[in-house]
Amino acid sequence: MIQLETIMDEFLPRFLSGMTVNFEIAAIALAVGLGLGLLLALARLGPGAVRAPAILLLGVMRAAPTFVVMFFLLNAIPREAVLFGVNVSPSGVMTVALSLVPYSAAYIADNGVEALRRFRAGSRLGALLFLPNVTRVFFVLVMSSSTGAAIGVHEGIAVILQFADRMPHLGDKLVLFGIGVLCFGAVLQGGFALINLLHRHLGRRVAAGLAAAQTPKG
Amino acid sequence: MASRRFPFIGGLTALLLLLWTAGGTAAADQRPDAALETLLSDARAEAARPGACAAPAADSLVRIVCDGEIRLGVRHHYPLFGEMTGGEYSGYDVDVGRAIAARLGVGVDYARVNAANRIPMLAEDRIDLIIATMGHNTPRDGQVRFIRPHYYRSETILVGPRELEVEDWSDIAGRSICVTIGNGSNQNMVSQGARLMLFDNAGALPERLQDGTCALAAQDDSFFAYYFAQPAFAARYDVKFGFAQVPWGMAVARTGSQRLGDALDLVSQIFHRDGVFLRLAQENRIRTVFLEAQQAIWSSAACNRAGGNDDPACVLPALDAAIEPTEFAARVEAFEAWMKDRTGVALSLAMLKTKPAWTLFWSGVVNSLMLVAGALAATMTFALLIGAMFTARAAPLRWAARALTMVLQSSPIVLTLVIMATLAHALFAYSTAVALCATIVALGLANGCNAGQAISEAMRTLRAEGAADGGLFQRAVALSATQIVSFLVNATKGTPIAAFVGAPELLSALTDITSFASGRATTYGLLLIFYILVVMAVMWGCGRLRLWLERRQAAA
Repeated sequence: MIQLETIMDEFLPRFLSGMTVNFEIAAIALAVGLGLGLLLALARLGPGAVRAPAILLLGVMRAAPTFVVMFFLLNAIPREAVLFGVNVSPSGVMTVALSLVPYSAAYIADNGVEALRRFRAGSRLGALLFLPNVTRVFFVLVMSSSTGAAIGVHEGIAVILQFADRMPHLGDKLVLFGIGVLCFGAVLQGGFALINLLHRHLGRRVAAGLAAAQTPKG
Repeated sequence: MASRRFPFIGGLTALLLLLWTAGGTAAADQRPDAALETLLSDARAEAARPGACAAPAADSLVRIVCDGEIRLGVRHHYPLFGEMTGGEYSGYDVDVGRAIAARLGVGVDYARVNAANRIPMLAEDRIDLIIATMGHNTPRDGQVRFIRPHYYRSETILVGPRELEVEDWSDIAGRSICVTIGNGSNQNMVSQGARLMLFDNAGALPERLQDGTCALAAQDDSFFAYYFAQPAFAARYDVKFGFAQVPWGMAVARTGSQRLGDALDLVSQIFHRDGVFLRLAQENRIRTVFLEAQQAIWSSAACNRAGGNDDPACVLPALDAAIEPTEFAARVEAFEAWMKDRTGVALSLAMLKTKPAWTLFWSGVVNSLMLVAGALAATMTFALLIGAMFTARAAPLRWAARALTMVLQSSPIVLTLVIMATLAHALFAYSTAVALCATIVALGLANGCNAGQAISEAMRTLRAEGAADGGLFQRAVALSATQIVSFLVNATKGTPIAAFVGAPELLSALTDITSFASGRATTYGLLLIFYILVVMAVMWGCGRLRLWLERRQAAA
């Protein structure tokens, strides 16, 4: 049976450190996705000449599986890729983050378009849904960043697998997997709880603003 | 009587002496040493003739004797084999070259070569001999003349922590092995159910082994030789087992090097027999298993003769790396050329040009489509099942559905897949079917739980709206069509992750193909297009399904 000291002294510190890499990857993917996604959202609402290619591109991005995109990037970009004298070959973390960008950008674009439409229709509360949706995609990206384990990125799942490999008994492996599910679950469920709080808080503020605007002055 | 006997005895003795001397001379003539001396004497005599050294058609051996040195192509950044530090060459290959030059009675002029330029440099007569960690395979036989017997042999070794009990192939299913992309032995490990972690650079492997990213690392033993020479590394790790042996050959040019090649064959034979190669390997701290076996072979009377290096019982064959082309390989090449001419795009459709690649590619496509169909069916089945459990009257069923959904929603899909594969491997022996089924169940459960929850939420809404009980479940399914469709698409997009647990789908197949063929960027580009098209087709199909469900809902 796996020792409690092994879990507390060895596994947990390394696993938690690995989980910070998941957050790092998700943050990069979200930042790039926000930039690209908002541009695509504007293009989708723009004139026909830019709308059609934007719709086509978004369709392809929605359909691209993250895992395959990751392997494509890993193999298509030369290790010594140089642009303007600078080595632009992405690291493992960056490769995983970039592989999540099609999903992240397509999601942001879809939600951005929805938010802009609602805003134009006068529904500020509806438009505000964009913020919790962005927070939601961040947690989905955190979970999806675990694909990095396949290319040796030292994120949370990679640490679990590394320790599980050392365990000869199935029971010990399942204990480690259970801790992983618990920790990722706590982050995910906690994150969704925060999104709900944020959504309610913003809703209250918008509602209060609307009420104040409707109250007759004097 | 005695006086008459003496001439007879004397004559007999003389005859025996004559026969013994003749036999002894004949035996000496058959030894490689004598043949080598004859070759060298002839070359020296020819070199001494006026104008012989300036003759353009002179054999390389004569020219080497004329110049008093041999031009040797060695590597300069291959630890323990060919390294250059502070302008000085060192390593096993370098020492072998030095010993050969000494045996020929000439000096050495080293030239830096790498894997890409070593054969062209020989063909362009910029070097006389390659000693540069070069594997001897059948395609290379058409480019250079390999020296036999081979001077070393490498193999792929599996290296791991000493305490890890791995003895043979049966112990590696489900284990993570760090490898380099394009290594020809990757396919051996994938076929045994190992989980490969791919790296571009072999230098990352010991590092990843040490930080625990992978349980095992696989690479040539010549690569790991340097690390095993470090006491700290050797104390922590050992070689579990080796496979995919490749003999290494020194090589000379195919033209104008007949006598040089013959002389080097004999030198190589003598060096094995006398343990020269073995001693140099020991001095450079590289593995000696192959050289010890070779010393025994070349010391035997059957091989220790001038013709020994032509005897298939003594020399090793070249690695048969010739790959049978497909029936349509020529048309594929013509298409690649047409594309290059018309568009400038250099396509490399390696998966269509050779039979093993085509077989792998085709089975990968079939497995991927089966996986997609299975994941869709499993997602739909689990969605209906868990939806029914969520809305069941029996509380334990509802609790079970809620607990399962919560756990699966909290687990990244990669972890769910690994857990399912671990359980499957614990219950059944590794096989393609087991890996595919484990993936289908994992994807179906993960996505089906979410879809099932959506069905239960739709059911709650219908009940809250006071809908009649008859056909309520079907109406809930129709109402949650958008959610179900999005999880079906999600399941399809998740199928390539099956490659991570060793399921032989298209990504795995193409990774195997790129390990022995070129054109990685094209191959993975086509893979991306394949999956995008599959997902788009599923999205289209699901869209139709959603419309049908919504129409049913409207009709109800």
